[in-house]
Amino acid sequence: MRITRQLKIIYMLLKMKLSRNMAFRFSFFGVFFVDGSLFLIQLLMFSTIYSQVGSIGGWDRSQMLFFIGTFSLINALNMFLYFFGVISIPGKIKSGELDLYITKPVNSLFHLSFESMDIGSLPLVFASIGILVYAASGMHKQITILTIIGYAFLVFMMLVLYYDMEVILRTIPFFVIQASSIERLEGEVITLCMKIPGTLFKGAFKFLFYLVLPYGIMATVPTQFFAGTLTLVGFVYSILIAIAFTAFTFAFWKLGLKCYKSASS
Amino acid sequence: MNIIHTKNLTKTYIRFEKEEGLRGSIKSLFKREKIVKTAVNNFNLEINEGEFVGLIGPNGAGKTTLMKMLTGIISPSSGTISVLGYVPNELKNAYKKQFSIVMGQKSQLFQDLSAADTFLLLKEIYDIPEDEYRKNLKYFIDLFSIADYLNVQVRTLSLGERMKMELVAALLHNPRILFLDEPTIGLDAVAQKQIRGFLKEVNREKGTTILLTSHYMDDIKSLCKRCIVVNNGCKIYDGNLEMLFDRYQTHKMITVTFDEATSYIHDFNVQIIERNPFKLSFMAYRKDVRHIINCIMTECEIKDISIEEEDIGNVVERIYSDKGGALIEEIF
Repeated sequence: MRITRQLKIIYMLLKMKLSRNMAFRFSFFGVFFVDGSLFLIQLLMFSTIYSQVGSIGGWDRSQMLFFIGTFSLINALNMFLYFFGVISIPGKIKSGELDLYITKPVNSLFHLSFESMDIGSLPLVFASIGILVYAASGMHKQITILTIIGYAFLVFMMLVLYYDMEVILRTIPFFVIQASSIERLEGEVITLCMKIPGTLFKGAFKFLFYLVLPYGIMATVPTQFFAGTLTLVGFVYSILIAIAFTAFTFAFWKLGLKCYKSASS
Repeated sequence: MNIIHTKNLTKTYIRFEKEEGLRGSIKSLFKREKIVKTAVNNFNLEINEGEFVGLIGPNGAGKTTLMKMLTGIISPSSGTISVLGYVPNELKNAYKKQFSIVMGQKSQLFQDLSAADTFLLLKEIYDIPEDEYRKNLKYFIDLFSIADYLNVQVRTLSLGERMKMELVAALLHNPRILFLDEPTIGLDAVAQKQIRGFLKEVNREKGTTILLTSHYMDDIKSLCKRCIVVNNGCKIYDGNLEMLFDRYQTHKMITVTFDEATSYIHDFNVQIIERNPFKLSFMAYRKDVRHIINCIMTECEIKDISIEEEDIGNVVERIYSDKGGALIEEIF
């Protein structure tokens, strides 16, 4: 299917989601309120961390703040775009609701992923950009258009990688009945990688968080690029890993569909 | 023209059996008893374009599994399927644009929005040209008289109204094949009748091939000339519906209610279903119905009487126990 048509459908799904949110006025404004509050709590937590830590693993305060801003941005974009759609997949596999998605002439994975975009996460996106601007201003570094484009490109690639990881874990219920414990593990790993830059991982942990569960590179690589510390090998590696995981995700999803048992009516 | 073709189509599932209780649960952690369940067994099917075919059978017979394989939702374990020249489980978009499936217990409408909103999304999904979309929508609005609740939140619609919207949603892109899995389930008699009329019209006017499963005999009888009976995953009858019912719907269900307590006893050859002083329900042979009714009306003061067709499950059971497979040979 052409990308423009795919984007058009994603745009329609966004419009539908907006309309659905507006159908319940309290829910629509409530989302802004709840997610906005969560962001404030996050800011408080960041401030506490930075009042205690000056430098970690060679990263100064601004770089560290930029790292957290980057993770926050990736996470907020994830929440805005596909998180709520992706987390609904295991339930739809178990209940057989997936049937109707499979029979539509669009990519069923995209349809599922983008039908529950969360408008309430948009303030988090803007706030994350605010953190990034603030952190960048403290870096005393000349920022060029190329730096911004390269950073945005890497954030996009890491967003794709984040998506891949979420989908892979939620494709497992095609093969086993209960996979919720894996989702809990995912939550723990994300929390860890949100707080610790990937550069701090060594040995087996580096292997684990750079290759097996590559959450460790998601915010680290764009931050390193922006700070000018990313090597060419690191740049190419992060792109390749995102491409490899994307290819695996689609193949795994396709295999999952082949094994789909639906549910009795 | 033959548009649905299956050969030796089989679907097996593996189930796990566990002994009851905690001990059984612990045991099952290490060793599980596997049971292979054959949902559809060596199924051969040919359907021509424009046909309206009824698929009947008791619960768990394999009807829905067959339909899910024809639509590509699930893959067959063995055998071949070709629908409109496509292999359904390859999930090609070109194939998906040419059919629709409506499942009575699953909705494709957004519950919090109006049906019109869902139709707009489907317009994009199926890439329906604007003119065609407007023309089709008007056609279905007029046919179903749904103009008044097109823009109403779906969750506020009655079940009958919602099902009409589901059917419109399924037909907007002019599918060549419509798969219907229990579309009238839970609907009242009026809504069922409306839906039947609508389906008849679509089949006649648009030439849409329709494959219908239903537990309601009236659906099958009023819509389908051809009927396929499935039991235990096997096809046990495929042919003319009237011939099937003439031969196997041997009984009618009669329910009589009395104004006063009555202990009516007569030596009829019937099977009593329910008996109390004010009500008598029984199954009687079709050939005896007139005589029985005459006797009861002559001998008792009755309040009401109803005569219903026998439950479809009984008919299927009878066909099966009579080795209906032999009947297929006999008819063709």
